[in-house]
Amino acid sequence: MIEQPYVSLEDVVQDPVFPDVDIALRRGRHIDLEDSEWFAFLADAQSHLEDLYRRFGCELIRVADGYFYLLPSGDRLGRRHLSRGEMLVGQGLALMYLDPATVKAAGVVPVAQLLELLTSLVGRDRLIQMLNFRKRPPKDERVAEETARREVSKALRGLERLGFLERLAEEEIRLRSPLMRFADPVRGLTDPAQALARLVERGEVLLEGDDQGSAGELEEALPPEHEGREGDRRK
Amino acid sequence: MPGPTDLHRLLGALHQGRVGLSLDTAHLCYLVVLRVRAAQGSLASFTEEDLFDLYLQVCELIEPDTANPKKRATNAIAHLREQRLLRRVDGAGLVRPGEYTLTRLAVAVVDFFVEDETLTTESLTVLTRALTSQLGAVLADARKATTERDWRIGVLEPLRVTVSDLVSGIERRQRGMDAQQEEVRERISALLQEDWFAAVDDCEQLLEDTSTTLRELNEVLMRDTTHLQALLHDIEQVAAAATSEEAVDQVQHVQEHLDRVAAWGGDRQRAWSDYYQFVQRYLRGVVRLDPDRAVSQRLRDQLASFAHRPFAFNVADEPSIRLLRDEQGKVERPPVTSPGADRERLPELVDPDPAPLALRRSVEEALGAGCQTLAAVETRVLGALAAPERYCAAGRVASLVAERVQVSSPLERTWTPLGELDITMEDWSLGPVEEQ
Repeated sequence: MIEQPYVSLEDVVQDPVFPDVDIALRRGRHIDLEDSEWFAFLADAQSHLEDLYRRFGCELIRVADGYFYLLPSGDRLGRRHLSRGEMLVGQGLALMYLDPATVKAAGVVPVAQLLELLTSLVGRDRLIQMLNFRKRPPKDERVAEETARREVSKALRGLERLGFLERLAEEEIRLRSPLMRFADPVRGLTDPAQALARLVERGEVLLEGDDQGSAGELEEALPPEHEGREGDRRK
Repeated sequence: MPGPTDLHRLLGALHQGRVGLSLDTAHLCYLVVLRVRAAQGSLASFTEEDLFDLYLQVCELIEPDTANPKKRATNAIAHLREQRLLRRVDGAGLVRPGEYTLTRLAVAVVDFFVEDETLTTESLTVLTRALTSQLGAVLADARKATTERDWRIGVLEPLRVTVSDLVSGIERRQRGMDAQQEEVRERISALLQEDWFAAVDDCEQLLEDTSTTLRELNEVLMRDTTHLQALLHDIEQVAAAATSEEAVDQVQHVQEHLDRVAAWGGDRQRAWSDYYQFVQRYLRGVVRLDPDRAVSQRLRDQLASFAHRPFAFNVADEPSIRLLRDEQGKVERPPVTSPGADRERLPELVDPDPAPLALRRSVEEALGAGCQTLAAVETRVLGALAAPERYCAAGRVASLVAERVQVSSPLERTWTPLGELDITMEDWSLGPVEEQ
């Protein structure tokens, strides 16, 4: 029989690691095996903490890929949705994480490679449009590109705070396993639209059409001159 | 290793001498053959005939269609001599055909390309044993050494040559092991790209093998370097007691080498451990769960169509606790001004000055008395005043006169002295007094 390291919630809260882990989770941090001490603490205290956070209207999720995060469902704790830039960059990084070529460098990739990938998949013009969130995009091509690069950089900072990656140098990042969350809608055998709908039901995902017109309208809104307005939507 | 000044001199000499190295593939292959043949046959040198024969063999192997291979062999030998890769060693000149040997540079070049020595547990054990034995002998000699010659032959030279060579041998094999690790990484990456799920077992085997080798090497290094350092420490103490500074320096030099060797094991162990964990997570979380490699393609599609179907993940976001400042009453801050002087002064009450009225009255009296010229009026009025006031009053009198009567003067005015008053002035004729 495996001995439970924590008999009660009080034991959990008394652990010196608890305050840091609690604050990190409430700020949306994903905690994976690389945060070895925090991960071990969460694994040991999981059942107690699940009850605790449920009372705050949140769910402590443990994913088989080896990471924890807090999923807020009520309004008792603050929450937000990732910006469009963060979503784009996150999906690009998840794709790079899946690439066997990344294995050689143990998940360390240059930022330039990410930009190349996004450009090739999304298309240069569309990418620039999606990353320029002002109502009137800059007419000057150089300014528009600069804005897009800045948005990518901002998204990387945001994703780093959430534990999806680690910035090693100015132009290099190390990918972490929570990035696989971006592949959740396509990991099952079911149709991706159904998988996405299930994630929406569970409160993991918000379709942008839910609060900004229908989802299909974004595409219509984007080309050729306009684009959707983006920003964090705190509740 | 040259010091900074020597280095400058060395660079200057290299630059001035236009030193360079030019080597194509055929030349490199030829050098490799020479090196291998020398090693296999324990040959100290090659005759000219050997050199030609070997070059022809190389040519036949790598460029079978070459025209005039003998001429090419001559050119190749001449080129390698120019490049300081081949040296004639017999010194016989024209007397007989020469004998040639590879230079140190040629040996180093060939070793760089063909050397595949990597550190194995066996090779490391052999090397560390040899090193231990050598250091034991050096320590014994150091204890017996009495003269400077004893120190040089028994301690300094063995440390400089044998011991340094052994330590360098370990370092060289460590570099080989580094290259091997790099190859393993590339191979794992290539295996996954080619075979994906089918490559999992091979990848795990490669990981395990390399991990085991590294662990064993680290254990041997940890165990033996402690013993070697202890021996070096003893030699250093004996050298210090005998005040042989050169020996102490040499021992410290070897110690630094040995520290580097020991640190290598720990560093590689840590770096490999990170890589090992990453690949294990990758195999477990990505490859095994996606045996058909479909997730990548589906994620690619999802990203490409993200603009059509945008969505966003929900994450917790508790803002940092706000620390409010203590409440304070509203502070009125006056605008910044400079202190100004009060320029609106109240009029001062002073006693009236009787002098102007008295002067006016005197002028009236003079005019009333029938004075016909300004000089007459001035003489009469100013005569009643004190001497210092007269000059100032003269102008005022003229002004009062002009107010009361019509004055006239000829074109050329005459200057008239005022009696005994010591004042001379231009005179006016006065008309009749006007009624007020």
